[in-house]
Amino acid sequence: MILRIKGLSKVYPGGTQALSSVDIDVPAGQFLVILGPSGAGKSTLMRCINRLVEPTSGQIVFESKEITGPGRDLRATRRQFGMVFQQFNLVKRLSVLTNVLTGRLGYRSVLRSLVYSFPEGDKRIAIECLARVNMERKAFQRADTLSGGEQQRVAIARALAQEPKVILADEPVASLDPKIARQVLTYLRQVAKELGITVLCNLHQVDYAREFGERIVGMSRGSVVFDGAASDLSDQVLRKIYYEQAA
Amino acid sequence: MNAVLAEEAQRRAQRLTKALLWGSGAAAVLWFTAAQIGLNPAALVRGVPFMLDFFGRMFPPDLAHLALLRDATIETVQIAVWGTVIAILLSIPLAILGARNTAPHFFVFHLVRLVLNALRSINELVFALIFVAAVGLGPFAGVLAIALHATGMLAKFCAEEIEGVDRGPVEAMQATGAGRLQVILFGIVPQVVPAFVSYAVYRFDVSIRAATILGLVGAGGLGFSLIKTMKLFQYHQTATCILVIFVLVLVSDWLCARIRARIL
Repeated sequence: MILRIKGLSKVYPGGTQALSSVDIDVPAGQFLVILGPSGAGKSTLMRCINRLVEPTSGQIVFESKEITGPGRDLRATRRQFGMVFQQFNLVKRLSVLTNVLTGRLGYRSVLRSLVYSFPEGDKRIAIECLARVNMERKAFQRADTLSGGEQQRVAIARALAQEPKVILADEPVASLDPKIARQVLTYLRQVAKELGITVLCNLHQVDYAREFGERIVGMSRGSVVFDGAASDLSDQVLRKIYYEQAA
Repeated sequence: MNAVLAEEAQRRAQRLTKALLWGSGAAAVLWFTAAQIGLNPAALVRGVPFMLDFFGRMFPPDLAHLALLRDATIETVQIAVWGTVIAILLSIPLAILGARNTAPHFFVFHLVRLVLNALRSINELVFALIFVAAVGLGPFAGVLAIALHATGMLAKFCAEEIEGVDRGPVEAMQATGAGRLQVILFGIVPQVVPAFVSYAVYRFDVSIRAATILGLVGAGGLGFSLIKTMKLFQYHQTATCILVIFVLVLVSDWLCARIRARIL
């Protein structure tokens, strides 16, 4: 198991219970889809893993080391988890290449970043990552000149540039049309396989989950309500994920 | 139907009463204020001959004086340039410290905002008086005066721009393992650069106008010629000064408008 999530809970200030005692074990190299409606706690779960959100209680163990709790090296932890967002979150006014290079920031000193410079090794990594998603020809274009699908491919390249062990993809295709969505998910699956990266992918569309998930974890109202193979995703299970009201 | 019409009439009457009430209140305040500060149209009318006399003495402008104003004009621009450049350099770190989302601590944020408000509330002329006393007569005092006042404005505007950035790229930078300053440099700075440049150009335009009068208190530039010729009753030369200031402001306004249009 590369990642073990044990009894993870998150209560936001204001009292919203986003996660209640979530347990998930993820073996290395798996393409795991986390399926659930909006508000099920999928995003919070991801952000707890790379500590963009502090969990209220519970543990996250990554490669046999606990990464929750104070006093851990936040930068070193975050470097291991590349993140892909629903809204791509590229820095619009920077070039495609610079955006991918920001994936290397976690390895670089502040001093060098002050002059917006990266070592040549980083540039080679960034160009290679762009090539993996077939975007190297647009390296010098500004990020905001790209289409949605292209932006998301660049965002995947940025995550790859971190040389992460795990990619956290938070609704990566929710703002893309179906054809482009499939293409982006295919890229994601392909590069993860090539590089042996474990993927946790939040989705709310059942058909993509069935098509791409090696394993599916269904979430509803902050809890895991299903954990199994795509073939076990019956209508009854889907009702539980999408329609069932908590008691 | 009739009920709605009746209500409409009633609402109309209410609106009218309200407008009359506020209107008469405002009129009373203005009337009282006018008396207090001695607004007196009759005095203005009586003053017309004196004004005409004054203009008559200024006209025609002494164009021979233009040559003498060349250095002062260049100095005015130099004061504005340096004042603005220093303000830009100072306001970048202050804006980061004075924005809610990038300040290291809320105490720092409040302190910086307080300082910026203080800088903004003190007029350049007042600063110039202080700096003339501190570093002596001349353009350097003017540069410092403009730099401080402009820093107050630029840093505040920039801080507000920083507070309004799109959170997405910021989160993406944090997720890469970037440090605090790296997140600011890559996630925030690119988002605020266009607005900041536009503010800086506008501020340069304001600085030019401020620099034309700093000479009144001995802080260099055209203002000094203005006050000197006036005190010596050389009104033809005063007119030349005013003319030069007018052209200078016009040119800088035109230039800055063009630059801003290109950036935005």
